[in-house]
Amino acid sequence: MRNDVRDRRAETGESQADLAAAVGVTRQSINAIERGRYDPSLDLAFALADHFDCRIEDLFDPDAEAADEE
Amino acid sequence: MNEHEISATKRLSRRKRYKQLMYGLLLGGILALWTGMYLDRFLVGVLLYWGGFFGMIAVWQLSSVTLYDERDTAIERKASDYTLGVFAFVFVLGVPGGIALEAGGILELPAAFDGAMWTLFAIYVVFAVVYTVLRRRS
Repeated sequence: MRNDVRDRRAETGESQADLAAAVGVTRQSINAIERGRYDPSLDLAFALADHFDCRIEDLFDPDAEAADEE
Repeated sequence: MNEHEISATKRLSRRKRYKQLMYGLLLGGILALWTGMYLDRFLVGVLLYWGGFFGMIAVWQLSSVTLYDERDTAIERKASDYTLGVFAFVFVLGVPGGIALEAGGILELPAAFDGAMWTLFAIYVVFAVVYTVLRRRS
């Protein structure tokens, strides 16, 4: 599943570790999400959307392949 | 101080330190158990082992940074799934295979084989019970 987490994080200037702490997961999980290797739970998807002040569907696109899978 | 107030660098070093402490406590407990058995101080060894185990749980639960999250849980779940799958094959094929080989006089199986198969059987019985309970609750 493609997502815009990396781009949105770049816009805010946060590190993976900062974002991880903000949404309550490890840095490795943020890295795995950004690389499309892990699809977050609904709770985490909501937390990420809330953090970036957008909707889940703005952040995640289930119809597109992840960057690593292309 | 909560996790959000700690800098990223400190958070990573703390996570590493807490994990080292957790595994160190468990390893120390195991070594204490072995040492206790070796020195014929079994009770002391067991108490130290329990102390190491509960110390590990305490560090995990009380640390100020996230040590394990939903991805770790998902990986553990997948690893458990694969492990159960592999041993299901061992059990399903091993029991009749072992019996057939022994009955045919091809092989004399050690008592440990029976023990291993009964242990696997017990694990799958527990799995079936837990699975049934969880399924009914969901």
